[in-house]
Amino acid sequence: MSQALDYTRQEMMAIATGREVKDGELAIFGVGLSMLAGYFAQANHAPHLRTMTEGGVYGATPVGGLPWGIECNRISTNATSFTSAIDALGFLVASGRCDVGVIGAAQVDKFGNVNTTGIWDGEIGAHYRPPKIRLPGAGGANDIACGAKRFIIMVTHEPKRFAEKVTYLSSPGYLDGGNARDRFGFVGGGPSAIITTLGILRPDPQTKEFQLDGWFPFSSIDEIKAHTGWDLKVSPDARVIAEPSATELANLRKVDETGALRKH
Amino acid sequence: MAQIKLISLQDAVQRYSWDGMQYASGAALPIGSDAIVFGRELLRQGRRDLHAVFHCSSQQLNLLAAAGVVTKAECGFSALEVFGFANGLRRAVESGRMALEDYSNLGLPLRLLGGALNWPFVPATVNIGSDLQYRSAFAPDDYPSQSKIPTVVDPFTGRQIGAFSPLKPDLAAIHVTLADPFGNCIMLGTEWSRVELSRAAKKVVIIADAIVDTDCIRQYPNLVRIPDIVVEAVVHWPFAAWPQSSPGMYDVDEAHMKFMNKALATEDGTAAYIRDFVDGYHDVDSYLDMIGRDKLAELSASTTSFLLDPYRRWILTPEQVAALQVTGAAA
Repeated sequence: MSQALDYTRQEMMAIATGREVKDGELAIFGVGLSMLAGYFAQANHAPHLRTMTEGGVYGATPVGGLPWGIECNRISTNATSFTSAIDALGFLVASGRCDVGVIGAAQVDKFGNVNTTGIWDGEIGAHYRPPKIRLPGAGGANDIACGAKRFIIMVTHEPKRFAEKVTYLSSPGYLDGGNARDRFGFVGGGPSAIITTLGILRPDPQTKEFQLDGWFPFSSIDEIKAHTGWDLKVSPDARVIAEPSATELANLRKVDETGALRKH
Repeated sequence: MAQIKLISLQDAVQRYSWDGMQYASGAALPIGSDAIVFGRELLRQGRRDLHAVFHCSSQQLNLLAAAGVVTKAECGFSALEVFGFANGLRRAVESGRMALEDYSNLGLPLRLLGGALNWPFVPATVNIGSDLQYRSAFAPDDYPSQSKIPTVVDPFTGRQIGAFSPLKPDLAAIHVTLADPFGNCIMLGTEWSRVELSRAAKKVVIIADAIVDTDCIRQYPNLVRIPDIVVEAVVHWPFAAWPQSSPGMYDVDEAHMKFMNKALATEDGTAAYIRDFVDGYHDVDSYLDMIGRDKLAELSASTTSFLLDPYRRWILTPEQVAALQVTGAAA
């Protein structure tokens, strides 16, 4: 974290993500930092958010810090319902009922496609060979990307993570851009924002290519372009994003009891 | 009259597993419920060449993959959530020793549902249009894959969708919180995909943290989502999901989760882990000693303990369970 700030870049990313989530929505969060962003929204400005994890844990708020998983005891202490994967990811997401999802990414491309499966030397090629580094796989993110009305991608802004084209497409954004999702009839609308440790990217309404929509008080257009692996266009409306308010920061830290977002 | 099905873990593995089988575990959650102790016993009895069906990789799949006894695996997710990559599984995949076929966390249970219903295929509206459909680790030269999630036409709309193949594992070892001696089960926490798995698998062995009297089952029949009629055998094994958590019973053992995953990152570490934590006990008591009695007390002081309160009066003592096991083994 920069010396001048009293919050971290990760906290800014979580708060900016949380701001995208509206009161009363039906929302699903992936594991880790996306969960903190979601429960921050509930603690801060969306008290009537209807929350679920893909583990089928509903109505809960984390106790004792960042939950270890979508189902661990930190998220099972005050749940109002325990159901199942087919209930959460199927009945409530694949059905088209879920308003918003938050997922993470190891690699994301200019059409908002996400890779969480592996890192290869160069292209994979026609023969599917083992990756140099095996990553966690699609998990529920593919299902959220196909089914949620919109979803937000939260990712650390590093050049290696921002590729022209993902090496392995684990979860669909806008595929090749434009109306490419229509070929598959996905009930979900696609990614509405990529929120990073430096700023916010949103899709062009026609081409669906992600462009810079805002930068954080501690970053700049130049820094963001330098950390993006494709020729990032800047929206004419791009602007600086408001830094966290004292209330927002306090509410985030209530959820992030163990300081997972303050370690970087 | 239903039959008492309580048997020892050793007997269960001996009777219901074999080399080369398709083996599933439930819930196969990375931090929560999973029949981890069944996997330890598979290793103790030298089972190998397994085809693993795990909704997600748990520490069990991490261990079995690290030990080199899994040749093929199918998963929706293959890490340990906030505990990071599953190092043993990573080594097995990256070295090419284990072929890992990727689906999603909805795709995998839908395939179990297909198996449970004996459907020829399950319509896929997820996993299509991505490399989950186009890339197959089981048929690596079939690209874009025509066989993993083939494209089919919805006969009603003409729309192109995918077809998931159904799963019917040879055996499912399913961890539950409570079971009666006949195999009626109550799960605290998310079911994840244990209901679908219990109907899809050809044989089901239950691994229960505690055994309850059937009066408990009759008090809460709505909560019995795995009934005795689909169960072959019941094994009583406290802390069966350790170092993962079991809501109402025990918390995740953070230190051991990290220790175990670090050990599984290398061949030497894996050998030492197997020596100490797979071959390091010979019955339930020595297993609990191995974890450490202080640690057990600490893990049992869970903020979720209240979830167990309605059922406590029906939990059988170790002596009662042992007596029932004698009957079960003779059956």
